[in-house]
Amino acid sequence: MSGSLRFVGVVALLALAMGLSLGVGVRDVPVAAWWPALVAYDPTDPNHITLITIRLPRLCAGLIAGGALGVAGTVMQALTRNPLADPGLLGVNAGAAFAIVLGAVLLGAQGAGAIAFLSFPGAALAAAAVFALGGGLRGDAGPVRLTLAGAAVNALLLSLVSAIVLIQRESLDILRFWVAGSLSEATRRPLGEMAMAAGLGGALALFLAPAIEALSLGAALSRGLGTRPGRVQAGALVVITLCTGAAVAVAGPIAFLGLMVPPLARAIAGHRLRAELAVSAALGATILLLADTAGRLVLAPAEVRAGIMTAVIGGPVFIALARRVRPGAPA
Amino acid sequence: MKSGWVLLAVVILLAALAGLAVGQVDIGPAMLWHGALTGEGPGALTLRLIRAPRVVTGLGAGAALGMAGAICQMLFRNPLAAPDVMGFTAGAGLAVVAAIALGLGLPLPPVAAAGGLATAGLVAALSWSPRHDTPPLTLILVGLGIGFTAGALGSFAMTRLPQAEAAEAQRWLTGSLAARDWGQAAQVWGISAVLGLVAAVQMRALAVLELGEAMAAGLGLRAGRARWALVATAVLLAATGVAVAGPLPFVALMAGPLGARVTGARSPLAQMLAAGATGAAIVVLADLAARAALPGIQLPAGVTTGLLGAPYLLWLLARGMARGAL
Repeated sequence: MSGSLRFVGVVALLALAMGLSLGVGVRDVPVAAWWPALVAYDPTDPNHITLITIRLPRLCAGLIAGGALGVAGTVMQALTRNPLADPGLLGVNAGAAFAIVLGAVLLGAQGAGAIAFLSFPGAALAAAAVFALGGGLRGDAGPVRLTLAGAAVNALLLSLVSAIVLIQRESLDILRFWVAGSLSEATRRPLGEMAMAAGLGGALALFLAPAIEALSLGAALSRGLGTRPGRVQAGALVVITLCTGAAVAVAGPIAFLGLMVPPLARAIAGHRLRAELAVSAALGATILLLADTAGRLVLAPAEVRAGIMTAVIGGPVFIALARRVRPGAPA
Repeated sequence: MKSGWVLLAVVILLAALAGLAVGQVDIGPAMLWHGALTGEGPGALTLRLIRAPRVVTGLGAGAALGMAGAICQMLFRNPLAAPDVMGFTAGAGLAVVAAIALGLGLPLPPVAAAGGLATAGLVAALSWSPRHDTPPLTLILVGLGIGFTAGALGSFAMTRLPQAEAAEAQRWLTGSLAARDWGQAAQVWGISAVLGLVAAVQMRALAVLELGEAMAAGLGLRAGRARWALVATAVLLAATGVAVAGPLPFVALMAGPLGARVTGARSPLAQMLAAGATGAAIVVLADLAARAALPGIQLPAGVTTGLLGAPYLLWLLARGMARGAL
């Protein structure tokens, strides 16, 4: 298949996922009702209400979170040359969620937009900690070391979160709202701001892509090509923070998406990081929207959170990737 | 080092006594002492029904997890190869939650054991490759993946439970010693004692295996079979602990190296016993810290072992990095 045809396929798949996300659910909204709902909104028509107040915000949240996690995962894997890197597995999601929960408990403002922005410092701290402890920034992080460092940071933050929740019963609701990994609360999330943050992260990723590629040749060689490794790594951490923070703020911590998407994107786009980033964003959104739609259907009328769906699919993918890794060798 | 063993014994004794003295209901030491001697009054009741079974169960669960960890770590010759890192305890935990969710009403120890064994089998099968020997690090990575999947399936099962049971299951999955009774204490001690004996018999084989595969074969040991038997014993021990205390994170990971360091134990049997004693001490101390840290709030023990164990794991990684071993 030629290159451009593959890109068309990716876009078509994304469009299909978006269509399913809008149309399918406990109440199916027929395609014929979509356009009228947008241009001539009728607040008495249940189809219009469902589409505009529930499905559309949900679709936006899925696009933001899925795209952002796809980009964050691709940047992480390119930066660490490690196929097992993922914002969820490396504790960055947990850092963002923990910061939000802590802020909400301490400041007492539930669901307010300001709290959501705490996800950025949380993600930044967790990312910096994991990369420093796992040796990620030296570019020679063995996959085992980085993955275990992520598991340890995850376990630490989870213990802290469950301690907070058990100490303060009221915070259980905060926890449910922020740490669920789901698109169902999309209407109460700061979608516009987070779309901007994710967009900024994506743009920075595209800008940095050639430098990250140069860096993956090794620090010495990349310096010879005129790259400054320290700056590129710092920039990549900013991308990871912006994208993961935005994703957690709109959808909670969703693991494995950043793990699954990059290998698929590499297969489609070849080893060109800019193209890979674009495909990753589209595929991330596609998979998250499909997972969310499937989660609405499998146990209907009950919902399975999108984060659980991605984890159930993602676990086996992780194992398949881990089998291919040669431990000890710098990946 | 004799002094190391004495130190360990003193720590366990003090931890157990403190575990008996501290609790949700404030009862003075005099009244507890009186209750313990005479068997009468509120002190006696609290001790007999609440605190003593809790401490005894914690000791047993910690010893089982510690011994399981030490066996795996010695067998794979890697301090990271603990049953909790490789997903065995997560699998045992998932089996228990699934049994609760499906309302099977089965006794928990065999369910946990089946879950743990199935997970270990899965980890071994999935890391097997026809081309080369499985390096322990692949086992660890695949085990981590199985652990993630088990966690996700556990959350999936949880969404199907009614709210009250889901909260209970969540607490259980964190690892807790709250509301244990004498039946559970007897169960964990009885099964661990039998499995501990089985493991003690196998320690000779482990010592031979440490000499290398070729040497072991030369000494007349069927290396493959001995390996499997050792893993099975370790998994059953871990599952025994999980069945009464939940998948307490990182106890199995910490107990082995810590016990060997404190006691200076060299032989596999001594290392295993040291790990058991250390595991018991860790669990009772963690439970004590979780109960006493904040007045009026009873945290589950798993929260403290998680808070203790995660930095330890990070330290292990940092050390491995400095040595270039990872």
